[in-house]
Amino acid sequence: MKLVSKPLFWWLGVLLCLKVDAAPAPSSGVEGTNVVRQELAQAILSNGAEQQELLDKLADTGSTLASDVLDAWTMQEVYLYVAPDGSSVPVMLESQQDAEGRSRAIRIDDGQFLKDATGKELRFGESDLNPASTDMRLRRAIQHALDMLALSDPDPDARYAAVDKLGNSQNESYILLLQGRLAKEKNAQVKKGIKEAIATLQLGDTNPAVQMAAVKQLATLNSIGSLDNLNQLAANTNNSPQLAKAIQSAIGSINDHIWWVNFYGTIFHGISLGSVLLLVALGLAITFGLMGIINMAHGEMIAVGAYTTYVIQNIFGSGFGFNITLPFSIMGKPIAFGLNLPGLNATGWFYQSYFLFAIPLSFLTAALVGLLLERTIIQFLYRRPLESLLATWGVSLALQQIFRMVFGANNVQVNSPNWLLGHYTVDDVSFDYNRIFVIGFVILIVIGTWLLLAKTRLGLLIRAVMQNRSMASCMGVRTTRVNMLTFAFGSGLAGLAGAFLSQIGNVGPSMGQTYIVDSFMTVVVGGVGNIIGTVYSALGIGTADQVLQQLTGSPVTGKIVVLVCIILFLQWKPSGLFTIRSRSLD
Amino acid sequence: MKKLLKLTTLAIALAAIAIRGQAQDTVKVGVLHSLSGTMAISETSLRDMLLFAFDQINAAGGIKVGDKMYKIEPVVVDGASNWPLFAEKAKELLEQDHVAVVFGCWTSVSRKSVLPVFEKDDGLLFYPVQFEGEEQSENVVYTAEAVNQQAIPAVDYLLAQGVKKFYLLGTDYVYPRTTNLILYKYLLAHGVSPEDIGGGFDKDDSGKVISAGKYVPFGYTDFQQIVADIKQFAAGGDACVINTINGDSNVPFFKEIVAAGLTPDECPIVSFSLAEDELRSIPTKNLVGELGCWSYFMSLKTPENKDFLAKWNAWLQTEDYPGVVKEHRVVDSPMELSYDGVYLWKEAVEKAGSFDVDAVRKVLDSGDISFDGPSGKITVQPNQYTTKNVYIGTTLANGQFEIIKQFPQVVGEPWMLKKLDTELAAQGK
Repeated sequence: MKLVSKPLFWWLGVLLCLKVDAAPAPSSGVEGTNVVRQELAQAILSNGAEQQELLDKLADTGSTLASDVLDAWTMQEVYLYVAPDGSSVPVMLESQQDAEGRSRAIRIDDGQFLKDATGKELRFGESDLNPASTDMRLRRAIQHALDMLALSDPDPDARYAAVDKLGNSQNESYILLLQGRLAKEKNAQVKKGIKEAIATLQLGDTNPAVQMAAVKQLATLNSIGSLDNLNQLAANTNNSPQLAKAIQSAIGSINDHIWWVNFYGTIFHGISLGSVLLLVALGLAITFGLMGIINMAHGEMIAVGAYTTYVIQNIFGSGFGFNITLPFSIMGKPIAFGLNLPGLNATGWFYQSYFLFAIPLSFLTAALVGLLLERTIIQFLYRRPLESLLATWGVSLALQQIFRMVFGANNVQVNSPNWLLGHYTVDDVSFDYNRIFVIGFVILIVIGTWLLLAKTRLGLLIRAVMQNRSMASCMGVRTTRVNMLTFAFGSGLAGLAGAFLSQIGNVGPSMGQTYIVDSFMTVVVGGVGNIIGTVYSALGIGTADQVLQQLTGSPVTGKIVVLVCIILFLQWKPSGLFTIRSRSLD
Repeated sequence: MKKLLKLTTLAIALAAIAIRGQAQDTVKVGVLHSLSGTMAISETSLRDMLLFAFDQINAAGGIKVGDKMYKIEPVVVDGASNWPLFAEKAKELLEQDHVAVVFGCWTSVSRKSVLPVFEKDDGLLFYPVQFEGEEQSENVVYTAEAVNQQAIPAVDYLLAQGVKKFYLLGTDYVYPRTTNLILYKYLLAHGVSPEDIGGGFDKDDSGKVISAGKYVPFGYTDFQQIVADIKQFAAGGDACVINTINGDSNVPFFKEIVAAGLTPDECPIVSFSLAEDELRSIPTKNLVGELGCWSYFMSLKTPENKDFLAKWNAWLQTEDYPGVVKEHRVVDSPMELSYDGVYLWKEAVEKAGSFDVDAVRKVLDSGDISFDGPSGKITVQPNQYTTKNVYIGTTLANGQFEIIKQFPQVVGEPWMLKKLDTELAAQGK
């Protein structure tokens, strides 16, 4: 008997433990769901204290259905259907639409489709129904209920955000709830958040011993969010001297922590700004540094890359088209041409991957434009820097106007794919994903460029042509071809820069103008003719800019000081950081 | 024979003069906006709306003065986003074209450039774009939102929603600096302590605050530090950002906000220079839930607005003025206030019975001139500001606003700084 029942009890025990460990189960069974549905519908229709009570009840259920409906409510996706008898029925629209763009309505109170008196399912377009209105206060209350429900959300970020909000709510009744959650929480970041939240709430306790413990806990956790509450508590006149001392030391410790957070944050911002500068300057380092062409159209190559990303985004979406009508006509017929590319209407991860396709295509498009430019204009201007400056300036103006004609004078929207959104936090220092991606990619590009120049045959030819063009030509190097490829490569790098810049900043016809001066500055400071100089100067200028911005508090003053330092530096070392010494005369 | 020829020619000439005299009576009206340069994106829409208003009036017969009907003849000039050129063009309109009134200007600096010209030549300017106040000229009718018709209702709304900390951020020129200073004093007067106002302060030698908030130049793109600062400021909850950034710097700012994970529910951002027109070029999914405050939103569900939008769209399809874009048009508050301005002027002229600036001004200052426009009733006050409705809206994913609060018939006040200084002195601050 015992031998048989032991494994049975063991298995039952395992099952029970599993059940306890799992997130609070949603109201099980059809009955539970119906109750939740009724409460949801009632909450939508009522207001004031009754509504708040219902929302509190819903928050306790832990129901994912409640989460979904409440979320939809804040996004204006819960509608009120006015029945013929005058009553309002809360509904949501299903996502599937028929040929006329209308969808069936799902009643919130029973989950069935809305039917008219004859039993036929009613269909509505989006503008046929009024959304259930929400003001900021109601949205906060709904968000609150969502936060309670989110305490058991599978996503740790959502749990952390929920815990954070509950901590700041100054509502002590949440302490028990949070302590209960602390026992079940596995994620270290969320656990820290829960401890902070509990300590913040305990600050308001009447028992001074509890307050003291809470203050010490906040000091240990270095909780930045509790600074306001600590300051408020410090202003309280009837604190005991030990408590007052503990509060001051906690505030001091948190302020120190903030200093370190800002320190590391500034360094990261400096590196990311430096990587953006490097990105835009690398292409110029090649065309200006290696070939001696002052290319004022470099900014427009960046814009070409950014607009390519925009076009790819649209092709993956609903399609891209443009129509240009020239302002003059030939023999009475106006000249117009256009292009209409159908969209792939991609969704989900395929759509989000558009950026990975956009990166190589931006490189290629900008390289092609650079190639065209080189063959038509630049090849005649190799020993004439003044003419190349003027000619490429003209090209830049023409390209800007072409962008205006094709894409419009306004900026265009380029959305970030969702795997680039968000950030990674280490001890309160946050690292944005898109910045990390840029830094990573720039490292790859620099290594790639170095490999190209140092290890490949093409690189050897480029360096030879750069050092002494006529001698290289005598040795049998096809200098025209090398020139073409180098210029194309430099322009392609600018296109890559454009693709990344579309994630960080604006995309418009004159976006190139924002970056051209910084690019030249970086290349000149680094030393014309080598890549490593550009890397050092970009990182140096970026970090100096961010550090000075942090120290002076004003974005502009920092930049001014950096520019003045660059001017002084160039007086001391006119050829930049790393100079190439050669015996040639030019 | 010769004498007959002479007499015939004379007769024909006289007849021609007589016929010309019976030709349509017109009145010249000036339109002074930037149609090129950096402000063109915003200002060309105002020109389009004014042309629409003129066409509507002309189609209904024109303006009645005496017993004649005068049609409006627009004289459109381009300020080219060049402020000294604005002054020159204003001079041209008043002294060469002898226009009866000018509808124009967007930036405060353009208005300040043309003001001396209007005062010298005693012209009349209708100015429709939200601004910082602190000005009252008898030659300008301010249909625009004053600070207490945009910034202050928004701040009132946030205070009522329980927001306790305010981070002030803007572009570095007169409008954001003055507006933020007014808001700083307003918040102090309403019990917010200086530690809860973020962005930094500029103090003069005596320690008095002369500027509050963080300022960036036009076209600035690197908001990493500022957003990190905002995140720390908002870490304790109950914080918001007052955003007076102008132009496309808003795009990198909001991209950075989204990347940092600041949601509108945690830290709402109310932007005073973003309307439906600007939202066409900003990724609006980054902005859903953020706030705006204007005296008109295109999504207003009044019959007057529906009618207005229908007529506007119909006009766009049939008109053939060069340079007017037909697709994807939206209407925002400065456009609607330009439209209102035209009708207010028309009413004043018809009541005064003359186009003369003195007579029209006298009627305008009587306080009786009002117009039931798409945003509701707008009335000209004796100080030439206007009383109008104010709406607060939240941004939707489609670039429109959902109206969440309405302040009806707010009276425009020009001199907020002095008023607040007196209030603060009375409170002992």
